[in-house]
Amino acid sequence: MVADTKAGVVKGAPSDYEFRVEVDRSSKQVIVLYWAAALFWLTVASIAGIISSIKLHNPGFLGGIEWLTFGRVRAVHWDTAIYGFGGVAASGTLLWLQARLCQVRMPYTKLLIAGGLVFNVGILVGVVGILMGQSTGVETLEFPLYAMPFLVVPYVFIVIANFTMYFKKKSSHTYVSQWYLMAVTVWFPVLVLSAEACTNLGAVDGVAQAIANWWYGHNVVGLFATPTGIAAAYYLIPKVIGKPIHSYHLSLLGFWSNAIFYNWAGTHHLTGGPLPAWTITLGVVGSMMMFIPVITIGINHHMTMLGSFHLLKTSPTLRFAVMGSMLYTVSSFQGALEALRSHQEITHFTHYTIGHVHLGMYGFFAPLMFAMMYYAMPRLMNREWSSARLIRIHFWCTLVGTLLYGGAMCYAGIRQGMMMNDPSIPFLNIVQWTIPFLMSRTLAGLILLSGTVAFLINFVRIVTPHKLTWATPTMLDSDRDWKQILEAEKEAKPQHE
Amino acid sequence: MFGVFIFIWSFALISGTVMVWLLAWAIRRGEFRDLRSGARMIFDKDEPIGLVTDHFPGERKW
Repeated sequence: MVADTKAGVVKGAPSDYEFRVEVDRSSKQVIVLYWAAALFWLTVASIAGIISSIKLHNPGFLGGIEWLTFGRVRAVHWDTAIYGFGGVAASGTLLWLQARLCQVRMPYTKLLIAGGLVFNVGILVGVVGILMGQSTGVETLEFPLYAMPFLVVPYVFIVIANFTMYFKKKSSHTYVSQWYLMAVTVWFPVLVLSAEACTNLGAVDGVAQAIANWWYGHNVVGLFATPTGIAAAYYLIPKVIGKPIHSYHLSLLGFWSNAIFYNWAGTHHLTGGPLPAWTITLGVVGSMMMFIPVITIGINHHMTMLGSFHLLKTSPTLRFAVMGSMLYTVSSFQGALEALRSHQEITHFTHYTIGHVHLGMYGFFAPLMFAMMYYAMPRLMNREWSSARLIRIHFWCTLVGTLLYGGAMCYAGIRQGMMMNDPSIPFLNIVQWTIPFLMSRTLAGLILLSGTVAFLINFVRIVTPHKLTWATPTMLDSDRDWKQILEAEKEAKPQHE
Repeated sequence: MFGVFIFIWSFALISGTVMVWLLAWAIRRGEFRDLRSGARMIFDKDEPIGLVTDHFPGERKW
């Protein structure tokens, strides 16, 4: 087989299998680097999250160290989770999936590797800046301004590579996942640059700055993390179970309605704040309209899986993908309802919001990134995951930890909100009442971290050469084995025609 | 301050125009014409519809 060295369509007449191998191998170094970095930052984010969680029920914990005060370590937790893990894992997913769907070799690999390294240096610079007390204080944009060029410039390489692959794609059709991936590369730079201009660069002040801040804070999840997660689900679920999407029409309706409505929902974060009422109403209406994409995506995921749920026992990729898809529906319904003023009267400024965010990020987005890694890594490394047990530990820790976290925080948040609305209850009593739930939050964080450690061990072992335990790879040469087995069966059984 | 506003609005206008152009381009290109075969483009001869492509390591059963 002949292949271009630069961003070319794979030439010659190779089989579909050879095509896939060629495309996968071209992206190996880039994707492994991105995902390894993403797991590193996930570990950092988890540790920072646990430290800040402990501080909530035990304020004296590490109290003598100024660079580990709650305000700093909590910002490190969120920014490493959203940019370090989310940004880097999503970029790896975007590039691998686009190369596969376009059936072209990954272009500009050296540039993407350099960009990946610079991006990670940027996150490190940002983290150190926050720990030194130089946070901007703007939620989700806490990294000091001097870290931002490290993050923005490499993203340009990803955009260029993505568009290059798209315009050289082999198929004339754009698969639904590709719509999401292309949109992400357009939306994210617009979001970051506009939000930085309106907040940290001081284009607007006061309430307008808060609006810009939450417009960004909401959209970075919904127009960056969510589309990448949905793109992964729309590829992995049909691919693993060998069944096309239940309704392809609905999937496209879901994409365009998400594209149109999500952008309007951000101001619901400021319900009850000193904003013009119409801006909040706009956010509430936008949130209600989000039921359209959420329902279409939920129907599609569930109906595609119908009749194939037994495969959850045998496929690690499917377990994580289905968990992510189900919790997408749950957390999105929850998020849309949360926008209502009547709901906010109770849950705003309570632990309920924290529970919702974790159901979304660790219940929906993270499992879909894990699913993508479980599916792609053996194909990239030509090596099997070393331990099925570690995969199971990872899965159960992720599921139990997320449900414990989300369940405890959402329940505590509702009760906390109801008590805060009752002026006869002293505030300190409410704080004390929440302490057991804050402890369960720390426990949930530890469970999630245990799962991450199990995954890290498996990840390190698949990346570094080691003696393989399993004689039969998952599906590395699946089609070849499959063909041989089918041919053997044909020979063994008489044909009834 | 004025310069930043010009930048933001120009940016938004250009991005919005690009998205609308992209949708028109996709319609003209026939992206929404044959959705049935579009849904099947992730399958091929070697990994056809009906083939399960993922198992726990060492636990693949036929």
